[in-house]
Amino acid sequence: MPQLLDIFAFVSVLFRGMTLAFEMLTIGGVIFLLAIARNEITNRDSRRPSRFLTISAAVLAATQIAFVGANSVVLMNSTGLTWADVRGASFSVAGAFIIVGAAFVGGFARSGSGKWMCPAGCILILYGAVMTSHSAARLEHRGVLAGLTLSHHLASAAWIGAMPYLLWTLRGMPNREVARSITSRFSRMAMVSVVVLAGAGGSMALLYVGSPAALTGTIYGIMLSSKVTLTALLLLLGWMNLRIVRAVRAGAPANLLPLRRFGEAEVGIGFTIILAAASLTSMPPAADVLVGRVTIPEIAERVKPKWPRMRTPALDELSPPTLWTASFAAAVPRSFVPGQLTQPSKPADIAWSEYNHHWAGLVVLAAGILSYLARRVSWAKHWPLVFIGLAVFLFFRADAENWPLGPRGFWESFQVAEVAQHRLFVVLIVAFGVFEWAIRTARLSAGTGGLIFPLVCALGGALLLTHSHSLGNPKEEFLAELSHTLLAILAVMAGWSRWLELRLDARAPRVLGLIWPVCFILIGAVLLNYREG
Amino acid sequence: MGTAFSRGIALAAFAFTYPISNLDGHAILRSTAPAVNEVVHGTTVHIRLQFSSRIDVKRSRLILLLPSGGEQVLVADQPSPDIVRSEVAELAPGAYILRWQVLAEDGHITRGELPFRTQ
Repeated sequence: MPQLLDIFAFVSVLFRGMTLAFEMLTIGGVIFLLAIARNEITNRDSRRPSRFLTISAAVLAATQIAFVGANSVVLMNSTGLTWADVRGASFSVAGAFIIVGAAFVGGFARSGSGKWMCPAGCILILYGAVMTSHSAARLEHRGVLAGLTLSHHLASAAWIGAMPYLLWTLRGMPNREVARSITSRFSRMAMVSVVVLAGAGGSMALLYVGSPAALTGTIYGIMLSSKVTLTALLLLLGWMNLRIVRAVRAGAPANLLPLRRFGEAEVGIGFTIILAAASLTSMPPAADVLVGRVTIPEIAERVKPKWPRMRTPALDELSPPTLWTASFAAAVPRSFVPGQLTQPSKPADIAWSEYNHHWAGLVVLAAGILSYLARRVSWAKHWPLVFIGLAVFLFFRADAENWPLGPRGFWESFQVAEVAQHRLFVVLIVAFGVFEWAIRTARLSAGTGGLIFPLVCALGGALLLTHSHSLGNPKEEFLAELSHTLLAILAVMAGWSRWLELRLDARAPRVLGLIWPVCFILIGAVLLNYREG
Repeated sequence: MGTAFSRGIALAAFAFTYPISNLDGHAILRSTAPAVNEVVHGTTVHIRLQFSSRIDVKRSRLILLLPSGGEQVLVADQPSPDIVRSEVAELAPGAYILRWQVLAEDGHITRGELPFRTQ
């Protein structure tokens, strides 16, 4: 139980992210198969999308069972309640709706009665999802917000959730006329979805954020802004696809390859937005955060360029590796998720963290510059090897309280999730650097292996959006979040621009090959100017 | 310190990472009675916690940590959806900590502590 409590904050966001993602895939799949593909695709062509729909529904149900289970265990153990008391809680009831709905979809996806049972399942899933959204706990505008949340989920599913099914169907479809007809129908649905999404999202932003000061001064506001920025990127890709669909409708040859490639990036960025949304559902709405908002001058002061910190403070100046301590300095005490750690950072802790970020920034900056130069200078193609330097640095310097710097031994340090994570990073960085270097120097074939770099890059950015800092001070947490959100967006852009460059191959616009090195350089610059105090 | 750095690493290295949130809990305290570190005169303390969300009081808990080191589970009621209320009598002079945990209607569990003194 103590172990579950320790990781509860983590699993809670993880489960919410997975729930949202598989909810989108489940509802999107039903919409695609019943409203877009209709009876136009053969049983053979629909077999793979239907199977994927069944798997999505099964994972959604499993995620909900795990989420309700973890929430119930934590609640029972922390309050002394019994299962009989907990099963009537709103999250249990909502979970039951989602599980039953997912079972309907999964069970009937490939049967004739699916055209009735699957939509019924989707209604149950949506009802359960709204029950665990912010709207359920609001004191004001509860009904309106529930309606807007429902519209937002439905439109997201119709656009982002249905997109993988479209790509999958197009991939194996020999009949170009049918492919054109399905694509055209999907395009119209996507346009309606965008309008609903923007309308519902904008209205919710007004009610959950409420003021420009809350938008620019709270973590919720920053996360929402990143969601809007990524949605703008998504719209750009959607617009490119719309041009292709219109050209085909006007009689151009039905070559849907670029559409599929842009669609792949749309799916990737779309699910990044869903992760950002999961993060948003896990934090209090900006309108509720009245204490500790950050002002524009404070942001300007923080981002003002300063010389990076390349030396560490003395080890004995750092905070001891202690855990949960509540701070009572505020007039109204802060509230925490069970298992959440909070320990005010000492100046030396901040200095150490900044030093780590600055060295990491230097490495990424070097990688960005060298990857750009690699087009002109032959030896620069070895740029992935700079990541080996980062791995060595991390191995020895990342965790001051652990081996070889601190009192915790090497094996003992693995008991701390965060340290185990750093160790895993080291292995991944080495593997990634060597692998990418082997591809750049033609020791390995670029083929599918070349896609690992953009995928890892985009995934790193996407998951970064679900994180936040614990610095014992809401203002510092906000300012750290600000820079990391920017880093996340740049990483997502770098990853998907490189993906498109590789996947479009000869058709790739030249600018794609410039975007990702520039994003690297910008990431390096942001990291070099990163500060926590 | 390490948690903050882990995020930088995740991106700088473009490596996999895991989602974790250390954000403020969901139900934010709007006001409390007694106030933080307030000195209450008398032996009876009226507790009132007002939150930013609707609270499921049946599945929430208030525990008072006593100066002796023991603890007392308090019975709470709910005059409105965002308020958790309780009353505790016959308190000896000393330092107390009210440990609260609430379940918001959207399923989020949030907890915190409220220190006060009696004399």
